[in-house]
Amino acid sequence: MLECKELSKSFEKELFTGFNLELKPGEIIAITGPSGCGKTTLLRAICGLETLDSGTINLDHVDITNVPAEERGIGLIFQSPVLFPHLSVQGNLLLGDENGDISTALEEVGLSGFEKRRVESLSGGEGQRVSLARALLAKPKVLLLDEPFSSLDEDLSEKLVQDVRSILKKSDCPAILVTHNKKIAGDFADSVISLSN
Amino acid sequence: MKMRVASIFALAGYSLLIVAPLYLALDRLVWVAGFDPYAWINSLNENYITQGVIGFTFLQAALSTLFTLIIGIPIAWQLGRHKWPLQSFVKSILTMPFVMPSIVAAMGFLHIIGPAGLNIRVDESTWFTTLIIAHAWFNMALVIRFCEPVLSTLDPNLEQQMRLLPAGRTKFGRFRNLWAPLLMPSVAAAACMTFIFSFTSFALVKWITLGDNTLESVMASVGSSAGIKDYMISRNEIILGASLIQFTILLAALWIMSWLQQRRQSLLPQASEAIVKSANRKGWLIIGPGLLFALSPLIAVLWASFRVRHTDSTGTTYTWETSGWEFAFAGTNSLPSGWDALANSLGYAGLTLIIALPLGWVLAQTILDVEKQRPRLARLLDILTMLPFAASSVMIGLGVMLGMIRIDAEFFYSFWPTPVFAHIMITTPFVVRIMLPALRSISPEYDECARTLGIVAWRRFFFIKLPLLWGSILIAGIFTLAMSLGEFGASWVVTRNSDWTTLPIMIDSLRSIPYNTTYTAPAACAISSVLMIITLFLFTWAEKFRPARDGGMF
Repeated sequence: MLECKELSKSFEKELFTGFNLELKPGEIIAITGPSGCGKTTLLRAICGLETLDSGTINLDHVDITNVPAEERGIGLIFQSPVLFPHLSVQGNLLLGDENGDISTALEEVGLSGFEKRRVESLSGGEGQRVSLARALLAKPKVLLLDEPFSSLDEDLSEKLVQDVRSILKKSDCPAILVTHNKKIAGDFADSVISLSN
Repeated sequence: MKMRVASIFALAGYSLLIVAPLYLALDRLVWVAGFDPYAWINSLNENYITQGVIGFTFLQAALSTLFTLIIGIPIAWQLGRHKWPLQSFVKSILTMPFVMPSIVAAMGFLHIIGPAGLNIRVDESTWFTTLIIAHAWFNMALVIRFCEPVLSTLDPNLEQQMRLLPAGRTKFGRFRNLWAPLLMPSVAAAACMTFIFSFTSFALVKWITLGDNTLESVMASVGSSAGIKDYMISRNEIILGASLIQFTILLAALWIMSWLQQRRQSLLPQASEAIVKSANRKGWLIIGPGLLFALSPLIAVLWASFRVRHTDSTGTTYTWETSGWEFAFAGTNSLPSGWDALANSLGYAGLTLIIALPLGWVLAQTILDVEKQRPRLARLLDILTMLPFAASSVMIGLGVMLGMIRIDAEFFYSFWPTPVFAHIMITTPFVVRIMLPALRSISPEYDECARTLGIVAWRRFFFIKLPLLWGSILIAGIFTLAMSLGEFGASWVVTRNSDWTTLPIMIDSLRSIPYNTTYTAPAACAISSVLMIITLFLFTWAEKFRPARDGGMF
């Protein structure tokens, strides 16, 4: 279970103050809000890529507020797929789990037979599916998704929303999605939180 | 090792290896000549050795820059806007002169204008023109490297839009309103670099314009008698005056270039080269002579290494022989063999690589790390790492030599790796300049993504960062080797009192023997050919790893 207590962060302006959240096992939450309201910063703080001004984050009742990102066990899918260009699809997936079952992972995201493909040959949707497969191979305790559907066209986005939701539910992986699109938030998550300016 | 510790070591190493020798040299010269900058500069005008040097240095650098742009811009345009068969091979040939050791270029041009070539060297009036042409040969690669990436990837929509606007209906209109403003920062940056390299030209001036001197060659020639208390004080003043002028001019040029580089980085809409480029047969009228120009001094060097002159009562004849090569590699009482020179050169280059590559890399990483928190400090470090650029190779050589005198002359003159100090000083700034944009180009998201996958620091370094930087590391490494192998100015100053002859020094020594044997000129060309072939091999190897849109200077 992920608990965020009284999280606060400001850069040049106050981004969020006293933010609280409780994410139960297998639950999917969406956080919506306009651009610049601090959604992405919140996700980056939860996974340890940003430091907080105040507040604590507990994961399975352990305080991880000052634990480095690589030791938290929290996965993040970026807005645009971050795939390492010097590695093939398979090489990228092996970064998630050296001994992982690559073909099953690819099958789950609908990309069977993509093992040897070069990452620059993938479309935006395929890239995001590979990112998802890699993140799931790392067996995260929580998966964070930073607007991963925003750069895709509407049809593809709708399909991927459903696919990713069912994969997460199947693997019982709790997740937080941030998006400015309320429809996607509603379709994807069990509950929606609104973050305002 | 954490980057902070590595950064401290790198900064300490840089200060010790690069800043300290320059400081010690300056301190020694001021100790002998006294602190009077006015007298230093005045001595350049008053001393018979240096009269007219300032004017000559500026004039040849300005004309060389102008001529380089005249031949470089049309070539860059053709390469950037049109398709060519074997595109990357053609580009490699046209840009290769820049990495060629200057002494090899000097040998090539000497042969072209010499008695076995065009035979115009007897007329002194051709020397200056030859020097300008040789500088243009050397530096046209800079114009191509700076301008071609802008031309080859600029979104054609921009030009198409301009054609539809009243201001861009004519070719001149498009030139004035589109191409000139877009290309100007790149052209000006190339001009600055060309000016710097021509201003500090040594080997070409020394060999092509006999008797004429630049500030650089003057410093080299009077340097051996500098730094000795109460001895030839005016020579110390000459070096200090020349250094002061040269340092000021080079620093100003570097500052302008750094400013222009920042302007170049403004984001231009880019498109694939396949969309931008079109076929243009007429362009061969520019590319063809360009290729011939780029290759002719190199072909001349190889050719001349097999041409041996025989003079008897019936006149002078040239025969095809390998005796020049045999002479070069046999060694004489006064000269070491080519094998010794090759071993020294490779040894120095290897040692330079081992030290300069990690040093430059960590310095570049330090600048990048500091940049995020303290941009002013980063700028200062950036300028500090460019210091040797503004000091020229002869100044660096003098720095090492006078630094050695100051610390322990006897030890350093008998210490085989001594020239490596100069080579490290010269090559480290190049490594920084290659690694810094490469490090900047790696999106921080890669590291962040790897961290969220639970990958620990050392694995992120070896499996993510290192492979992403591999191409740039190889280019920096190969460039360091090539620069060290071909280094002439500093080595000439540092090693002339020792036995550690390198390939470029051996070429100079062979050519300096006044035709007492018929083999010295072909032998010099034979050694030049060895150096040329090694450099060519390294250059073509490095080109394989160059990123497609690389617009960097090297």
